[in-house]
Amino acid sequence: MTDDVSRAGAAGAADERITFRGPLQRTLISPEIGALIGTVMVWALFWATSEKFSTAATSASWLDGAAPLGIMSVAVALLMIGGEFDLSAGVITGTTGILVGLMAQKFMGDGATMWLVVPVAFAAAALIGWLNGTFVNKTGLPSFIVTLATFFVLRGANLVFSKRMVDKVLVENIDEVRDFEPFRKVFASTHVLEPFGARDLLLILGGLIGITLVVVGVLEQSLVRREKAHAPALGIFILGLAAAVVGIVLLHSTDGVGINVILGVVILGGATIATLGLARWRYETATMSGMWWCPAATKAFAGGIAATVLAWLITRFLDKSQTRVLLSIPPHAVKVIIGILAAAGGGAFVAHSGLRRIRDRVGVTRRSPMTYPLLVLAALAGGLTTLIAVLTFLQLCTEQGFRSAVQVGLGAVGILGLLAAKGAARRHSRRAQLLIGAIAAVVVLWNGFLIRHDAGSERFRTGFLTTMAIIAAIVLGNALLEATMVKRGAPEPAADRRGRNIVFAGIAVAALGVAIRLTWSGAPMRVSIVWWFGVTMIAAYVLARTRWGNWIFAVGGNKDAARAVGVPVDRTKVGLFMMVSLVGCLVGLLTALRYTSVAASQGVGEEFEYIIAAVVGGCLLTGGYGSVIGASFGAMIAAMLATGIPGARWNTDNKYIFLGAVLFLAVLVNQKVRKKAQEAR
Amino acid sequence: MNLLELVSISKYFGNVTALDDVSTHVEAGKVTCVLGDNGAGKSTFIKILSGVHQQSKGDYILEGTPVRFESPRDARAAGIATVYQDLAMAPLMSVWRNFFLGSEPGTLGRFDHEFAKATAKAEMKKMGIDVRDIDQPVGTLSGGERQSVAIARAVYFGAKVLILDEPTSALGVRQSGVVLRYIRAAAERGLGVIFITHNPHHAYPVGDRFLLLNRGRSMGDFAKSDIALDELTSLMAGGAELQALQHELGSR
Repeated sequence: MTDDVSRAGAAGAADERITFRGPLQRTLISPEIGALIGTVMVWALFWATSEKFSTAATSASWLDGAAPLGIMSVAVALLMIGGEFDLSAGVITGTTGILVGLMAQKFMGDGATMWLVVPVAFAAAALIGWLNGTFVNKTGLPSFIVTLATFFVLRGANLVFSKRMVDKVLVENIDEVRDFEPFRKVFASTHVLEPFGARDLLLILGGLIGITLVVVGVLEQSLVRREKAHAPALGIFILGLAAAVVGIVLLHSTDGVGINVILGVVILGGATIATLGLARWRYETATMSGMWWCPAATKAFAGGIAATVLAWLITRFLDKSQTRVLLSIPPHAVKVIIGILAAAGGGAFVAHSGLRRIRDRVGVTRRSPMTYPLLVLAALAGGLTTLIAVLTFLQLCTEQGFRSAVQVGLGAVGILGLLAAKGAARRHSRRAQLLIGAIAAVVVLWNGFLIRHDAGSERFRTGFLTTMAIIAAIVLGNALLEATMVKRGAPEPAADRRGRNIVFAGIAVAALGVAIRLTWSGAPMRVSIVWWFGVTMIAAYVLARTRWGNWIFAVGGNKDAARAVGVPVDRTKVGLFMMVSLVGCLVGLLTALRYTSVAASQGVGEEFEYIIAAVVGGCLLTGGYGSVIGASFGAMIAAMLATGIPGARWNTDNKYIFLGAVLFLAVLVNQKVRKKAQEAR
Repeated sequence: MNLLELVSISKYFGNVTALDDVSTHVEAGKVTCVLGDNGAGKSTFIKILSGVHQQSKGDYILEGTPVRFESPRDARAAGIATVYQDLAMAPLMSVWRNFFLGSEPGTLGRFDHEFAKATAKAEMKKMGIDVRDIDQPVGTLSGGERQSVAIARAVYFGAKVLILDEPTSALGVRQSGVVLRYIRAAAERGLGVIFITHNPHHAYPVGDRFLLLNRGRSMGDFAKSDIALDELTSLMAGGAELQALQHELGSR
């Protein structure tokens, strides 16, 4: 280990006060990470459970739903980073749509040309935004109140005007107005690009190059460069890569189950070997040192193994096809014992914590005579509550459900325990770290096989096992790298920047592959998706790379400070409100022209979905921090839930429960991650 | 020549006299300390210097010409930078983003990241400040480090006069020492520094001139050679009052 330290020291002028943050840890600081992980997980969930979810047609459909939501969420995220809310952001999409519809049909009797109507709508939106911003600035009232007022005014105006002009709460037949066609092309066209043969190949190629670049980039950011490249390792890299590529090509031309498994192993093995070869070729290796076991890891390791074994045992004794509730399963004595134990445990816990609280408050010596009866009462209440909870659980949970919960939950605990053990061993011994990492990889695979064995749907069986195999390969590869390579302990600006750029290039190439595969698929792609992409890119650029972006952060983070150093705070805020309204007008046009009709209630209630998407995307409710790319991911999650839940034949009402859960989880993850990242100093 | 000179400045708010006939000056490369207890008129003094308020009487002379600032922006444009106690920083933004806040480099609204990071790091280094990681949020810096960012920022943006409002009041002993060193460093780079504090032990080591305020009146404007630390301390606490207090506490 000593030579690690000296090498790390030589690699750059390290500041001993900074704990060096590796590339992964640095990525975790970015606000959008929670939403990104959530997007991937929700996508994977639907991909694994539904045959159709990953098809181009379904993707086109949920992207279509995500686009207007995403555009608005990006705008609302910018405003939230600037420290304000806009509750009129939803209803304005309806207001501008109705304005366009009514003016185009009824203005001066027989309607105006769209060339006049659309600019007027944008001007009206700008005015509403300006009013919002100016009111907030001048009155000093919370924007929550000001824009709530705007919300009600606009909502009323939508009803009043549509009723007065067309006697309905629906403005229809917008496609019959003058000069509709050019605007339909820009705001509401649909493009079906015929599939071409090479698109699958391009996807695979893009994916391969992308993954390779990401791996190379991460290695560049975390390892120490060799002074002279180690040529033989390059051969290993090429061999491994060739094996992986050949495996993928063959996999696409075979159908047998057995050969598929063999090819899967070849691909993952080849990829792992290629990674190791690459690492050895360019970076410093370390000698394996330390014992094969490390006492610090024993506890987590034992826990992980115990959870894995327990999960397996429990699933063996429960019937996967049984839908009876747990309470009705004999023998009854077991249930009675469980009930008594649970009640005793709950009672003891409540009494114990009560006792502690009393001690904290009055000190051990001064016990009032009332203490003991109170404690007994607390114990009874706690016991009873626990008993009822357990009984309710047994009554509600089916054998099948309990079994899968145990399988997934305990399985995950087992894997996490082993990974924690690996982390604990890393500091002490490379050998122990490698051993535990290898065991963890095996356990991941083992869980994959267990769940595959149980799953009913063929789709899920292969999909899940593939995912688990990839995770196992990553765990194993990571363990091997950490055991045999010298990790960098200090930042090295040039290498870090190079690595980061390579990673970004990899992500871009992979995204391009996916985009090509989706676009030329014969599925109807709406032009709103292009608008969404454009708005997100512009907003991200403005936020990160312009001075207005810096002002937005500052205005939301510390308004007085921003004013003191000369930032035009009021103008920035008014600009943000106007931007939200203008983007609302854009979305209003996209919707109105697409469906050729606008309901007076269009957009009402959606303002909270925008805020949810922004918060899931990492924006702080208090302002001064956040990301528009994250908000886009947040919108994707909401849209995937809306499309995927009915697609998977679950009850559609679950959407809201999921949305709430995702919101809660994302906020928790963001908070935790931010705290952890800021502690690293 | 005096960089900045105040001659018989008075400030009235209605019938309240906040400052009455106060004079002092600061030279380039020197530190003038303004000492006073709570309510002595220190903050009115700062606000006049930084253009928030305008004096009711007296002359404010910058580089030989009388000036009258209508707003903090005017004062800043004339090279008078004020570092307030609350430091004017956004805690969740990185050091370099805060450093250039309000004066972002780059053309056409573009914010030149590379330049900003490199410059912020270099400027802090010039002041002898070694920020660990220029990307870390300002909120994770210690109080003294935050002061140092604010001072380095003022120096970089061409301040001629640097006004520091109680920079050490919320800091521990070591942190205060660090900030005092930055104050000295700023003066050595040719700025005139006006250091407002209520702690003579912080003022004496760095100051070249001491203005004492009490209840809006000047209790003297001394060069360092004219006054010793214990004199300064007793004057500041109101001499006789402190002795009376010592007597009272001593008799317990």
